[in-house]
Amino acid sequence: MKELTKFQKRLKFENKVASGLITLGGYGVIVSVLLIFFFLVLETLPLFWKTSLEKDFEISGKTPISIGMDDYKELVYQVYENGIISYYNIKQKKNIKYDTLSLSAGEKIISSSSTLERDEIAFCTDSGRIINASILFTQEYRGNSRTIGSKLEKYGDFSGNESGKSLENLSFDKNENGNKFWVWTNDKKNVFIKIFDLEEDSNYTHNLTELTGGTKITASAINAETEVLFLSDENGEIFYFDISDYESPELKSHWKVSNNEITAISFLIGGNAMVLGSKKGEVEVWFQIRNENDDLVFTKTHVFENHNSEITKIVPSQRNRTFITIDKLGELHLNYSTTSATNVKFDNEKKGIKLVEFSPTADVIIVADDNSKIGFFNLQNEHPEVTVNSLFGKIWYEGYSKPEFVWQSTGGSDAFEPKMSLIPLIFGTIKGTFYAMIFSIPIAILGAIYVSQFAPKNLAAIIKPVIEIMAALPSVVIGFLAGLFFSPLFEKNLLLILLLSTAAPILFVVIISLWGLIPEDKRRKFSNTWELIFVFIAMVLVFIIFWGISEPLGTYFFDGNIKNWLYTNFNIGYDQRNSLVVGIALGFAVIPIIFTITEDALSNVPKSLTSASLALGASKWQTVQRVVLPAASGGIFAAIILGLGRAIGETMIVLMATGNTPILDLSLFNGFRAMSATIAVEIPEAPVGGSLYRVLFLTALLLLIFTFIVNSLATYIGDKLRKKYARY
Amino acid sequence: MKINVNVQNSLSASYTTDLSKEKTILETKNVDLCYVPQVKTLKNVTIQIPEKKVTAFIGPSGCGKSTLLRCFNRMNDLIPGISMKGLISIDGIDIYSPEIKLEELRKKVGMVFQKSNPFPMGIWENVAFGPKVNGIKEKAELDEIVESALIQADLWNEVKDRLNNSALDLSGGQQQRLCIARALANKPEIILMDEPASALDPISTSKIEETIDELRENYTIIIVTHNMQQAARVSDYTAFMMTGEMVEFNATSKLFTNPEKKLTEDYITGRFG
Repeated sequence: MKELTKFQKRLKFENKVASGLITLGGYGVIVSVLLIFFFLVLETLPLFWKTSLEKDFEISGKTPISIGMDDYKELVYQVYENGIISYYNIKQKKNIKYDTLSLSAGEKIISSSSTLERDEIAFCTDSGRIINASILFTQEYRGNSRTIGSKLEKYGDFSGNESGKSLENLSFDKNENGNKFWVWTNDKKNVFIKIFDLEEDSNYTHNLTELTGGTKITASAINAETEVLFLSDENGEIFYFDISDYESPELKSHWKVSNNEITAISFLIGGNAMVLGSKKGEVEVWFQIRNENDDLVFTKTHVFENHNSEITKIVPSQRNRTFITIDKLGELHLNYSTTSATNVKFDNEKKGIKLVEFSPTADVIIVADDNSKIGFFNLQNEHPEVTVNSLFGKIWYEGYSKPEFVWQSTGGSDAFEPKMSLIPLIFGTIKGTFYAMIFSIPIAILGAIYVSQFAPKNLAAIIKPVIEIMAALPSVVIGFLAGLFFSPLFEKNLLLILLLSTAAPILFVVIISLWGLIPEDKRRKFSNTWELIFVFIAMVLVFIIFWGISEPLGTYFFDGNIKNWLYTNFNIGYDQRNSLVVGIALGFAVIPIIFTITEDALSNVPKSLTSASLALGASKWQTVQRVVLPAASGGIFAAIILGLGRAIGETMIVLMATGNTPILDLSLFNGFRAMSATIAVEIPEAPVGGSLYRVLFLTALLLLIFTFIVNSLATYIGDKLRKKYARY
Repeated sequence: MKINVNVQNSLSASYTTDLSKEKTILETKNVDLCYVPQVKTLKNVTIQIPEKKVTAFIGPSGCGKSTLLRCFNRMNDLIPGISMKGLISIDGIDIYSPEIKLEELRKKVGMVFQKSNPFPMGIWENVAFGPKVNGIKEKAELDEIVESALIQADLWNEVKDRLNNSALDLSGGQQQRLCIARALANKPEIILMDEPASALDPISTSKIEETIDELRENYTIIIVTHNMQQAARVSDYTAFMMTGEMVEFNATSKLFTNPEKKLTEDYITGRFG
């Protein structure tokens, strides 16, 4: 009795442990899937966080002409109209140092203009002088502490004009050769350009007034890298100058862009996009686009929310395509060019805004108002280039002639505009899956029908495991073979491949049906093995026939080069890594899945059903067609869907054999870029926490959702149909 | 001890029960059959099945009665490794000769299985399946065939309003009668029934037996059964088989009341089996 209790106790304990472990395992699976899901969502969500602008602190003092900040956000310089520069230390909350631009007595700075990087600033004074200076920050490390210092460099006097005349609308830019450009107007509505050539150490000054026709010039913008100059006038006209010939600037073109006076213009980073602000508060981005005749046309590409009054200033960020527009009433808009979005609207408590500047890292905005207050605002704007529209909609990118779906996540320079439309990737995945399914479904299902219904038992016993081994083949091996072996082979024998995939099956069926001409009683004497040998011989025969005729056929019809022929006659380009190769390689990976599940479904059709059909005088094929296939339809459907799931998620094959070209083109002869391959290729290049990084996580999330839906669908339909036949 | 079935009751007096006076439709001569080489499942079976009569095969499990039945429509052909010797002929034609088309033989020799096996389709589709695979396409003709087959199988009144409903929604007995109707739709000469009522309750069983009783005028029915009472009730002639051999074949009334062989008597009185 005592022994039994001990045994029972142990049994109870073991039961508890076992059920605990099994429960834990079950829940563990669910929890880990959910965790992956939540992790992906967590990494993705910041993409859609709203931009926020919050006031950090403010300082009081005279309103400066120019203001700037160092990379570490410790030191702020302010240039006042009397030429004094003060340096304010944010930590110590006081001015720590002063410098001066050494103006003459009574001379006042009236405006300033700097390069986008703020490495050189031009000031113009009321006595008609232009003074260039650069205020550079230095870092000194002593032990663990870092001290930000500053260095003022003055570049002499670039007096541009007959002295004593007031200069307006000064624009300044410098290119990487050190050549400098200034543009200004004076009170006589004359517009001047001055160019300093560093190499030659010579200055050129030109009066452009005749070229513009003497209208009132309201704003100017110079791009020193491309050596172009844009001027705007009171009639809403834009003048486009080529200033690469320093001795004679040329007016290339001019366009009417608005019925209202253009009051501010500015280039964005990269110098391809131009922001215009009008007297009525309109804000627009325009690109120069080449039309069919190869002429440059100035085209409106992005429109932003209107201001309520005249735009007074446009300040571009030196980090990305964010720019600030401010108006006469002191309202500030933060816009992002690529997405046409106005992310922040801010009115600075009804005080007018004199000056706005980005910090070098573009996460702080400095706003100086009329009221001698300078506010420092923290900007949370991590992923302005990503919106639902930019991910899934057409976007007009710089350098494109129309809005398009483009994936090009990284470029050569900091000024690169990231293009992150997921549409080409989703399209690529669907395209690859589509071609893979076209290739694999017929082969896998017909194969499964043959093996489960017609093949002799011993042959089926060989075929089944062989196909299952196919499933175990690493996809990197398939991808490798497809990319490096089959791609060149296909390219070399394109016509043969096309013939084999279209005409050959027809000829093959014709030859096979010859077997049916043998009278039935004689046919019956041949065993299945002979049938197989006949089929094999027919296959080889068909292959040899097409091998033989493909070359002369190519020479006769396609001038010996079908690729050229396709291109010249149908404008179909042929890439070596193309969808045909991938379709076959991916299909090769999918076939075992579809085959195995279909074969199981067909074999599981109750024998009583096939017997009933055969006993009613149905032939073998009629039985398969009318009884077995409908009864197994659920399993076959599930097989196809599971194969689809595999094709969608497959990475290595599409990575290695597609060429990874993110284009939207259904053609069989060019490649694509699948979502999975994009993640694999780009995640090493994506800075953690950056937009690309998060967009790749979003892609992963989409893939997970895709495959989840597809697999759930397969399970659901499979279950439903299984229930239908469960009574057997 | 005599069997507790009143044979006279179940057989109408008008039937002739003399085997020698019957016209033979199906004949086997010295049939040997092996599923596995050297192991004979059927041993030298010779029998003449009379036309338009109900013939029952009885015998203990594994005696080969179902195997023999399946030889008549060559359902055994599907089994790998099977070998058969001897002659089986219908209307004097060897059904195993190469000239015979399997599909035509099976159209002529219908079969009803032990477990009802309607296709997972509608009732109409089930019955029309045979005619359809045998080349009848016209809807009106098919309708006629379906109706007459269902009437013959005593199912018409129960299903005429729901011919498109799934056959799987019918009761077990109805399903089996549907299978009979399905076999009848091919207008066969011979209907093979492999224990058609063994999976059914007594009421459904008696329904099936009634159906068989109505069919005997127009069809030759060969029924395999475990149930001796059933054999006694429905059949005109009974064959008793044991270990692959045909022990006794005789008029049912004779076999159950006055068997010629000791073995038969032992079996029908329940000494073994």
